[in-house]
Amino acid sequence: MNALYLAFAYLRYHWARSLVLTLVAALILFVPVATQILLSTSERALVARGDATPLLLGSRGSQLDLTMAALYFSDERPDPVPMHEVETIWDSGLGIPIPVHTAFSSSGFRIVGTTLDYFDFRDLTASEGRGLSMLGDAVIGADVAETLGKGVGDTLVSSPENLFDLDGVYPLEMPIVGILAPSNSPDDQAIFVDIKTAWVIQGIGHGHEDVVTAAEVAAGSEAVANAAVVQYQRITDENIESFHFHGNQDDFPASAVIVVPNDTRSGTILKGRYLDSENPTQLIEPAGVIQGLVDRIFRIRSLLDVVTTIIAVAALAAIGLAIFLSYRLRAREIATAVKLGARRGMVLRLLSAETITLLSLSGIIAGLGAAIVSRNADAWVSWLLALGS
Amino acid sequence: MTILRTFRTLFAAGLILFVAGVAMAQDRPRVVAVNYPLQYFAERLLGDAAEVVFPVPADVDPSFWRPSISDVSMIQSADLILLNGAGFAAWVDRVSLPRSKLVNTSDAIEEQFIVTESMTHSHGDGGEHSHEALASYTWLDPTLATSQADAIAAAIVSRGLASQDQVDARLEILREDFQALDTQAATALGALEGTDIIATHPRYQYLARRYDLTIASLEWEAGAMPTDAEIADLQALVDETGARILLWEADPPDAAFEITAALGLKNVVFAPLAHGVEGHSYFESFTDALSEMAEAGVP
Repeated sequence: MNALYLAFAYLRYHWARSLVLTLVAALILFVPVATQILLSTSERALVARGDATPLLLGSRGSQLDLTMAALYFSDERPDPVPMHEVETIWDSGLGIPIPVHTAFSSSGFRIVGTTLDYFDFRDLTASEGRGLSMLGDAVIGADVAETLGKGVGDTLVSSPENLFDLDGVYPLEMPIVGILAPSNSPDDQAIFVDIKTAWVIQGIGHGHEDVVTAAEVAAGSEAVANAAVVQYQRITDENIESFHFHGNQDDFPASAVIVVPNDTRSGTILKGRYLDSENPTQLIEPAGVIQGLVDRIFRIRSLLDVVTTIIAVAALAAIGLAIFLSYRLRAREIATAVKLGARRGMVLRLLSAETITLLSLSGIIAGLGAAIVSRNADAWVSWLLALGS
Repeated sequence: MTILRTFRTLFAAGLILFVAGVAMAQDRPRVVAVNYPLQYFAERLLGDAAEVVFPVPADVDPSFWRPSISDVSMIQSADLILLNGAGFAAWVDRVSLPRSKLVNTSDAIEEQFIVTESMTHSHGDGGEHSHEALASYTWLDPTLATSQADAIAAAIVSRGLASQDQVDARLEILREDFQALDTQAATALGALEGTDIIATHPRYQYLARRYDLTIASLEWEAGAMPTDAEIADLQALVDETGARILLWEADPPDAAFEITAALGLKNVVFAPLAHGVEGHSYFESFTDALSEMAEAGVP
């Protein structure tokens, strides 16, 4: 007790040196623990998104691009898959197909065109406002709302595909009707619209001034209007009636289709139907693709562990040296204590108490840091992964 | 004392029945249909197993209805949403509906759709594209209506809204009714073969094709007094076709009947049934209209 008291008094007297030693030791303990927490959480988050998405249908090509575009809304642009593939899955009765259209963005965030089934599938609910109801409505993820400072009642404008696309896709102004509750997933970083709204952005559907007269309709005659008809860039109550789509919706594009099979047997049957390499579409298990990617990424983890260990050993050696040198510097002080009657054991207890106090303080600081990281790991990892995309 | 006890018992029983009724009403699945015939077919197939809702107000054409946000919300929460297809109810393309609950009842009869008009235009420097319009009132051909009822029955069973046995039994009866209606229509309208007919609105394409009728169409507002210009158009069409029968969607003012009768036309009100006729079922309304047409065809 006396030794601890004297040790604490000594450390307090030399507070600057004690503080430096404590912080350095805390950092050495904290860095590997925090790294492990973040890496484990990243791995879990990446694999969880894949695990939660049973099957993915898309054009034959890079499975990774398809997975990244459909699950993480990344910049990858897999070849579009026609909507009749969605109907084929419906008709099979083996699962629920959920198309996602991720070709466009707004203010740096991906616009995800999908059906209402997506929200049920991902268990996404609106924390403010309402869900998608009308053509043109947008529901934004929690991070989009926070980053852009936008809320229900504000609007978003879709970005043109590229700066030189002056004659192609028209920007569409979309009212924000809801904000999703945070889910610590890429959905927080997305702007959701009905897939039909995505087709309007793409120019497949549009609204414009009426070019058909009632008399022409009555006569059932073929009207021809080659005038440059003005298109609307905003869907309002006044013009929504004029919005329409050209062609057969079965031929309209989606970036990918999430397929939720009814059961394992249905999933197996479905996978069997897309095995033919001549088939322009492929049905993949995103969990396998993600696991492969994660395995590749996390091979670096073992290297990181070795580096961390070497640094930790070196730093511990440096601390040991610092403590040893401080003991050498205190040789006269220790000799005085011995002359005053302190036994060698007493001196050793005093020095040990100082060291233990230092390391305990470092451990407490490192532990607090690790607890903070652990508590926020999901959010931070989600943010880090979003940065990556 | 005994009376009081009996009253209490009856009151308690009534309360239990009321609460049970309310609970059942809340628990019943909800099916939404985009027109009256689909609502009627679904009700026949479901019995009391579900509530079938046709949400369009009586004074609005279901083809051009604009649902409010609350209407959309109600439809989104339904267990099954029955679409007619063939371009009927274009509003479904402008709202967000859960695909897993949608059933297009005319998927199996797409090959039999009638194309009514096309229009070609272009935007800016973009290429030309065409709009094709389809005749939508498929249920006026009982054979097509049978296919639509089949699709509804399959959807009800696949979603577990009623048992397969019950639905099969009800579908069998419904099919027999369609068969009887088809036979009756063939008999009633057979006499009109070669008789030119004018309709105040283009609603009867499938009826005309099924029973070899020749029907020219105007674009008059249902139930409204025709304008002088519209009467002039009608006169021109009568002169051109020699038509003797004029089909109305809904009862116009009596004066309209008098004007058209003066042109030598027999007036027949044939409700196209996108909305139901008060107090009459699909079959009753159809049968009444057939009788009127047959009567009008008698010289």
